[in-house]
Order: sequence, then structure tokens, then C-alpha cells
Amino acid sequence: MQALGFILRRVLLLVVVLFAVSVLTFAIVNVLPGDVATAVLGDMATPDQVLAVRKTLGLDQPLAERYLRWLLGVLQGDFGRSLQHGQPIGPILMGRLGNSAILGLITLAIAAPLAVALGVMAALKPGGVLDRVIGGIAVGAYALPEYVIGLFGILAFSIWWPVLPGSSLMDPNENPLARPEALILPIGVLITGMLAFISQVTRASMIQVMGSAYIRTAVLKGVPRWRVVMKHAMPNLLPPTIAEIGMYFGYVIGGLVVVETLFSYAGLGQLVTNAVSYRDVPVIQAVVLIVAAAYGIGNLLADVAALLMNPRLRS
Amino acid sequence: MSGVALPAHRRIVLPRLGVADLAGAAIVLGMVMLILAGASLSPYSATAFNPMHSLEAPSLAFPFGTDEFGRDVFSRVLAGARPTLLLAVGAAALGVALGTVTGLTAGYRQGPVDETIMRFMDALMSFPGLILAMLVVVMLGPAPINVVAAIALVFWPRSARLVRSIVVDLAHREFIEAARSRGERASFILFRELLPNVLPIIVVDFSLRVTSGVLLAASLAYLGIGVTPPTPAWGLMVRDGQQFIEIAPWLVVFPCLAIALASIGTVLLGERLRHRLALPGGGRAQ
Amino acid sequence: MTVMSKIEPPVLAVRDLSISYGPLQAVRGVSFSIAPGEAMGLIGESGSGKSSVAYAVMRYIKGQASGEVHVAGQDVMALSEQALGKLRGRTAAMVYQDPMSALNPAIKVGEQIAEAIRLHGRIGKALAWKRGVALLERVHLPRPAEIAHRYPHQLSGGQQQRVVIAMALACDPQLLIMDEPTTGLDVTTEAVILDLVNELRRETGVAVLFISHNMGVVAQVCDRVGVLYAGQLIEEGTTEQVLRQPRHPYTVALMRAMPAIDGPRRRLAAIPGRLPDLRSPPPGCIFTPRCAMATAECESRMPDLANSSGGGHRSRCHYRDEVALRLPPEPLVAEVQLVEARQERPRLQIIAVSKQFRARPALPFMRGPAPVRAVDDVTLDIPPGRTLAVVGESGSGKSTLARCVAGLIVPEDGAIRLENEVLDPLVQKRGRAAQQAVQFVFQNPDAALNPHWTVAEIVGRPMRLYGGQGEGKALRHRIIEQLEAVKLGERYLDLYPREMSGGEKQRVSIARAFAGRPRLVICDEPTSALDISVQAAILNELLALQRENGTSYLFISHDLGVVRHVAHEVAIMRHGRIVESGPPAAVFGDPREEYTRNLIAAIPTLERREAAPALLTA
Repeated sequence: MQALGFILRRVLLLVVVLFAVSVLTFAIVNVLPGDVATAVLGDMATPDQVLAVRKTLGLDQPLAERYLRWLLGVLQGDFGRSLQHGQPIGPILMGRLGNSAILGLITLAIAAPLAVALGVMAALKPGGVLDRVIGGIAVGAYALPEYVIGLFGILAFSIWWPVLPGSSLMDPNENPLARPEALILPIGVLITGMLAFISQVTRASMIQVMGSAYIRTAVLKGVPRWRVVMKHAMPNLLPPTIAEIGMYFGYVIGGLVVVETLFSYAGLGQLVTNAVSYRDVPVIQAVVLIVAAAYGIGNLLADVAALLMNPRLRS
Repeated sequence: MSGVALPAHRRIVLPRLGVADLAGAAIVLGMVMLILAGASLSPYSATAFNPMHSLEAPSLAFPFGTDEFGRDVFSRVLAGARPTLLLAVGAAALGVALGTVTGLTAGYRQGPVDETIMRFMDALMSFPGLILAMLVVVMLGPAPINVVAAIALVFWPRSARLVRSIVVDLAHREFIEAARSRGERASFILFRELLPNVLPIIVVDFSLRVTSGVLLAASLAYLGIGVTPPTPAWGLMVRDGQQFIEIAPWLVVFPCLAIALASIGTVLLGERLRHRLALPGGGRAQ
Repeated sequence: MTVMSKIEPPVLAVRDLSISYGPLQAVRGVSFSIAPGEAMGLIGESGSGKSSVAYAVMRYIKGQASGEVHVAGQDVMALSEQALGKLRGRTAAMVYQDPMSALNPAIKVGEQIAEAIRLHGRIGKALAWKRGVALLERVHLPRPAEIAHRYPHQLSGGQQQRVVIAMALACDPQLLIMDEPTTGLDVTTEAVILDLVNELRRETGVAVLFISHNMGVVAQVCDRVGVLYAGQLIEEGTTEQVLRQPRHPYTVALMRAMPAIDGPRRRLAAIPGRLPDLRSPPPGCIFTPRCAMATAECESRMPDLANSSGGGHRSRCHYRDEVALRLPPEPLVAEVQLVEARQERPRLQIIAVSKQFRARPALPFMRGPAPVRAVDDVTLDIPPGRTLAVVGESGSGKSTLARCVAGLIVPEDGAIRLENEVLDPLVQKRGRAAQQAVQFVFQNPDAALNPHWTVAEIVGRPMRLYGGQGEGKALRHRIIEQLEAVKLGERYLDLYPREMSGGEKQRVSIARAFAGRPRLVICDEPTSALDISVQAAILNELLALQRENGTSYLFISHDLGVVRHVAHEVAIMRHGRIVESGPPAAVFGDPREEYTRNLIAAIPTLERREAAPALLTA
């Protein structure tokens, strides 16, 4: 009952936040000092051109009305038309979303358990050799932008020792899983970034858990060490760590934008950077909204998973 | 024992690195000097074309080689230090300042004020940082000040959340109850009672934000957002050099190294700061 | 079979145990032993090293240990990790101070007990669970089969501690180590737990090492008692010997500092000074600097822990047989008469105050659980210069009442009247004069002072805020004066809270409360976080300040002994209501309500009680 209440509250909260996100997105695009038409055309545009674009985008109508029309459209899957391609944005978006999801989910599926395992190992002997090595790698991985790691990866594995393709260039409608070797480098880059965060967060939580009184109880009960870690520490470590991993979805998404651009992978990130260079505002707006929604839902799922693992809230 | 310990999660805890701490300080010191000395250190102009020396490999004359227009990569990398670090520090300062005031207010007031502020912060946080910064810079136009504003907007809710979480905990402490029962004004409690207790965390948070600022600014530049071509920004140099990666890897390698050095330097310095601030007075055994 | 000594070997033998944490010598040369079935208590204040000794028996300490520890004949210091794992939980088991944090929040309590059983005996899961349920029944938990399926947070504090005890008993250990097992529990719960320990001792014959700071609690359980001071065992003997005829001045001082609920009313005697620096302990007797009967010999030569003339009663004092003669006698005080005070108009009136707390509903738009009546129609008054003590167990609403008076919590109903003025329920809306008139002293000295302020800033702030006490030099003079009033001096001005002991911090807290020259001071458990010897000093300080300034106190406490020493009037609170009130002599001497009688009966005194009052269930 309590858990159900929590989930319901959490879903309500997500709806509120998504509404706020739509307002913010719309506000940034339409209310900030920069003018959409100018942003689309660049500074060199003549007043006539600006006027024409304002008309096609419906910018001559009142703000509130435009927002409502846009929101209603979005709720029905109509994101408007791309300025660059002249096509409806919805279908373009869906294919790209799938491709990005493949990249992101594979990354999470590998990085999350691996990072937690590394964090736990580091925490078992703080200051030990393993801890220092993992910590050192984490500093590096944290401090380097994805494209720097990615470019060094390309130099190493597709130029100096050419074993992997340095680009994942493909047709947006092609199934990316058809060429798994093209996914290895992008996913590798994303995993490296994730590892840094999650392993260090896990390490900190694990040190705290291992220092708690109930772990002392277990040790003084005569529980062997591996069992203390697996049976007594893990159930207390995992729920907050999973919720924490949820917070890093946004980081994965940011990483996707860079990595997709670097490897020419046809996902949402590449779509949005292309849209940026063509100043295709309706597309940018749509991608931002979708990404924020995906982030919100991912966060929600992580919270619910954490909740279901936590007996305190479950019962 | 006393003071405020940093919340154990919500932060990256790196083990002590000893010598590495000093390296961090040295790197940052070097960067600061680069900013102060600026262009006077560069052997060549960072922007002038020199077609005679197009795409030359690193040599004594051009230690980092030259790009397709014959510009000296070393001079360009040097020139890129100042905008990157100034952007990062400016954005971190603005974002953390906004976050501190917001977090203090929300955490102390609680109730509907807190709810409203934090739901707005949640909404801001629902945008992945890079995406939000992209959107804002695209709409405001490419200018350094807009990049600072955009990155600060990314930091704002994150700092606010951090500060709020500590203030919510502190607000229930008895010394705050003591101040309230004495009849202190809210502003006194916020800035005289609470702020000194939050300050060490703010300083550490600021140092972390400088690092992410460097990374975000470099990523934006790499995506071609916020800077326009002749400007020697590291990210932009990588972006432009990428097409020559097979024949002239130095175009990519040296700016990448510069970014790596800058962010690792700030990370290490931040870690050192955290170690110093997180252990006030020294705890006794037992 | 060879002929063997008839004397049974001890279950626990500690010889010359020393423990250090870096340069800090926490425990020095402690030796004692516990025979099968015997219960030995270790008494000590904070910093005495008592917990270090307890955990050293299990070889679970972070510091460096030397000396010998034998448990059931096994040399604990020399055991392999594997053998140590077998000893822990099977031969020797532990019960902890804070049961809530000692139990794993993510595992059902039945499983936590069953695990202990399965670890040390090869039996199946189902059988282990059944035995676990039987153990829960053994510790008198109602509906044990159902409780086994619960998680720790679903149990009360007393129930949690029974679970911990059941878990400790899982493998029929020969030695039970109990580290402050009732600290933090209500007195009535404490009484029931102590009874349970006695019952289990009778039935299982388990030996007990009982760590506590509370002499009354130790007297309820233990056959023998050792007193630890600054890492040394300074006295040891039977409970009767040590607590009735102490042979060490420290033990005597502790007894005199303890506010008792029975016997003649005494003036509490604080122990002057503070614990010596354990990084470089003095060469002579460690208690010398604080001892009322110390001589030159005490300073130069460390006394042995040797038998006094009483037989089997050891004391580490050169004058162990003359302690009673050499120490000055204990002053008695007369019962306070409140007759004349009754005529005066009350300084504070609490009129029909009620406060409810509402929990959040489980689902939005659903009806929440019934609100809790934290304070329920309470009417009380305090005459000028007098102390009203409100006594109750945790959850009785006494702290909520105090915060309603202070204006930190707004009650739904009722009024607070200070002399002629009805105060606004919210302190921020009260006038400066009213804010100045009511000051607060908090329970936890660590949390009550802003860690980033110096003492001068802390004590000076009310003076600046309310004004009228000068500026610059004059103000500084006032601050020093105020500090001297609580026996702190000028040298404290620039210290930060972390540089002071708990007692010093509480003095600063009191100085701050009095800096505004209040008419009423609310003391919310002002000494419950302090050691007994420090508590005595703080209580004496509060009494002296009241005499000097004519301040009224609203004194919140759970400790009837403390209340008896400070209050002119007592109100017993339970479930938000005042059960009974009157002068302490009347309430304690001849309680009218059954709850009050039970509360008084539950207090552990030096007299061993036969059984806890029947009504009490925890």
C-alpha cells in the first residue's frame, strides 16, 4: 500500500515535471532574447526573409496560443515539420530514438553491474592497490570528454591497429545491430564514462554500509566475510545505488549526443547536432522534449526498482 | 565530529593520490599563468594563415605541428586556454551562487516555497546538461557570455539540490531552533547561521563545477556550438582536425591533451580541497 | 581420568589488557575474569575504555591490543580468522547499545536469527527458522511466528533489543557481552529487558560481561562489578562491596554525583576537573588531579589494584582502607517548601494547550492515518523563581510542549501566558521583550551551538540582539561575566564548540540562555547527553543561577532522579496528557496514579528488584 502510494506520487510528480519541462523548452525557444527566425536564418537575414519565416513558423500568433497548439500536437505525436527536410518530425524521431535506445541500453546493461562490482571491490579495502587503480582510472575517465576518449580509441583501434571501424555511418533506417562491430567503439566510450561515476558513488556508499552497526553485528555473529558482503551489505547498498544510477541517465544521454556525432551514428544525438547546424528549431525542440521525457521515465523506473528492493518501503 | 560532513553519496570520492594532488595544483597554476601571460608566450599568431606550412608534422619550429591553413597548433592550443578556463570558472561561479541562494531558501523555508522551487529545479534537471546548454546557446546565439549563462543554467539546479539537502538537515539542528527561539530574522539565520556551515561544501562543489564546466564548454565547442571558426577553442580544433585524423593526428591529439590536462588538473585540485575541508579539526579515535 | 582441580576454569579471563589508538592509550593493564554463570559489570563514564575492553574480548577493535584474553580456554589474540569466526556467535555473543542500528534493516528478523543458528550448526533452513521462532518466544515476544517475518523498523525499541538478545542466544553461548543494552530505552522498557537478562541467566547459566555507565542498571544484573576510569580498572569486587562500601575515591565520587530516587535528598557533588590526557598519562595514580584526598605519594607512585581488608575487594588506591574516613562527609539538603510561593501570581501559564501531528496519507487524495495527539489539553503554571519539571517517557509529548511554550511549534489550541501578556504562538511574531524573556537550553550540546561561531559570538549574540548591555569593551566584559557565571573564564572566548568537552558546551549553552536575562528558561533534557559527574555540575550550576536571578525553569526530563533534585513541582506526562502533578516529595513519596507508581518502580536503584512491575510490556 505504502509502495503503491509512493509509485503513484512519483508518477504524478513526473507528470508535473514533464509539464514544466514542456513549458521551459517552449520558453527557452520562444521567450529568450534570441529570436527564432533570426536563429534559423542567421544574422545576415533581410527583414523580409525574417518576416516570411516568422509566418511559416506561426510566430505571428500569441505566445500562449502557440504553446497550447504545440503541446496538443506533441500529445498526439505531431511535433511539427522539420525546416531542413520539410517532413513531419514524428517519424524521423521514432527511428532515431530506437537507435539511440539500443546504444544507451547496451551501455547501461554492461556498465551498471560492472561499475557496481568495481566500486564494491574498491570499497572492501579503501586505500588498497585495487582501490587506487580503480580510483585513478575513474579520475581519468571522469576528466576526459567522450570525444577525447573516442578519438584516442579511433586512433588506437582503427588507424594504428585497424581492427574496428572508426565510424558507425549508416542509413537511419538500418538496424544498428546488423553491424555489431561498429557498435563496439561507441559503446566502449560510453561505458568508460559511466564507470567513473557509478564505481566511485558505489564505493562511497559501500564504505558507509561496511562501517554500519549491523555489519558489525554480522561479523561478531561469526558470518564469513564474503557472506557479510553478499548477504548483509548488498541488500542495503543496491537500492540507493540503483536510484543513483537513475540520476546518471542524463549523463548517458549527453554522452550519446557527443558519441553519435563522433561516430556518425544515426541516433537522436546526431539528429540534434545536425539540426543545430541547420538551425532547425522545431527538430531541436522536439528532441529536447523527448530526451527530457526519456530521462524522467528512466529516473522513475530506477526509483521504482530501488523501492521494490527496499523492504522498509515495500511493506 | 563537528562541522558538516559532506553527504557520502552524491559525490565522487577518489582515493588519496599523494603526488597526484601536487600535480593537480601544478597544472592549474600553469594554466593560470598561461591565462595571465596569454598570447605573449605564443611563438606565432593563433589565427593568421600561413599556406607555406600547411599540415606539417611536429618539429622544432612547430612543436605541435600545423593545421591545414598552416597555423601553428602550439600557439592555438596556448590561446585556447584562456577562453576555456574563463568560461568554466565564470559558469561555475554563477551557477553555484544561484544554487546556493536557491538551496538555502528552499531548505530553510520548506513547505510550499520549497516545493515550488524544487519542482522548478527538477524540471531544469530533467534536461541532460549538454542538451540544455545546447538549446540555450543556439537560441541566444554564439557568444562567450551566452555559453557562460547556458552552463550556469545547467549547474544551478544541481547546486541548489546539494545545498538544500544539507540545509534541510541543518535546519532541524538545535542551534537553528535556538536562533529561531531567540527571535532572529530569517535572513540572519540564512546567511549568518546556515551559510558558514554550508560554505565548505559550496567551495568543493564549485571546484567540481569548474571541471564539468571545462568539459561542457569543450563538448559544446566540439559540437560547433557557441564558438565560430577562427576562434582557437580546443573543442573546435578537435572538430576541425578530425577529418585529417589519418594523415595529421597531431591536429586532434594536442588539443585533446590540453583538454585532458585542464580537466584532470582541476579534478585533482578539487580533490585536494575536499580532503582539506572535509576533515575539520581532526576526529579522535573512539 | 586424571585428577583435576575442582575449581572450574573461568569463561573469560582478561590479563593485562592494553589497547591504544595511535598515541592514545585507551586501556592500560586491565585484568579480570568471569566464572561460568557469573555476571560481571564494568562501570565507567565516557572515555573510560569500557567499550574497547568489551570489543577486545571479541577481537574486534581498530587499535593495537596487547595482553591476554581467554574465552572458554581459547586464546582469542592467537586465534586464526577461521577459529575466530567459530568463537564469535557460538562461544561468545554480543548484545549492543542501539538495537535499531545493530539489526540489518533489509533482512527479516527471523532470518537474522536463523542465520546465526545455521552458521554454527549444520541444520536445514526450515528447522533453523523454527528454532528462531522458539527463541523469539523465549525472549517473551508476543506472536513470535508473526514477528519473525517482520523487518526491524516494524518493531519497537524494546522488541528490537529482544530480537538482538534472541540472536545472541541462538547458539547457546557460554559468554554474553552486553554493551549498554538498555541505554536509550525508556525506563519501563529497560526494567523488562533487565528482568529478561536475569531470567535467561538463571535458566541457561550463561556468563555475562555487562558494560554500563549506570550503576543502578548494573546493580540489577551483576554479581560482581569493576569500575573503569581513564582506561584503568580502579576498583573491583562484589556488587554489594563496590556499590555499598566503595574503596576508591572515584567510585565514591560517582555515587555522590548520581541523583537517586530513594534515600535522603543530597546535594549532588560534581567531580572537579576533567579526564587526563591519555596520550601521556601521569606516572602516579591517574585520579590524583581530581581526587579530594590525594597526597604527594599519589602523584609519584601508581597504586596497584590490590585487595583491601574486606577480602576479594580490590582497589587501586594507596588509602583503600581509609577512603570513608578521609573523604569529607556528604552534605544533605532539606526538602524545599513551596508553601509561600503558592501565593504569588504565576510567571508562566500554559492554558489548555493541544497539538496534533498529522502523518502524510499513503496515497494522494486519500485519508491519512489518525493524527497523533502529541499534547492534549495541558494546563500548568510556574511561579517566579521556581522549577516545574515535566517528566515522561519518549513519545509522551514533553518536548513538543516545551517547543509550544518557546513558540517553535504552533499549537492548535490553548494559550501561553507570560505574567500579564498572552504570547503569540509563533516566536517570530512575539515582541522583543517576550522573546528575550523566554530562553531555551537544548538536550544535545553538540547540536545546540553553531560549529562555526566562537564562544564570544555565541554568548554575545543575545546581548547584541536584545541590546542594553553595552558595546565593544563593555559587551566583552559582560560576556566574560556571563561565562564566569557558568564557571568558564575569559580563555574560552575564542574557542569553537569542537574544541570543548560536552560539559563545557552545555555551560556555553546555559550562558547563552542567561545572556538575555530571561524570566523563564526552558531546559529540554539538559543533562541527558552528559556523563553523571558532569551532569551533577550542570545541575548545580542551574540551581545556583536560579537562586541568583530568580529565573523560572520549565524542566523537561525523563530521569526522575534528576527531577527530584531540581524541581519544586513535578508533572508526569503520558500520551500528551498530564497524569499527575504536585511537589516531588508527594509525587515520588506517595504517587496517586498507577502509571506513576510503575514509572518509579521501574527505575533501577542500587537495590536489586525482584521483578519488573507486572503491567509493563515493552
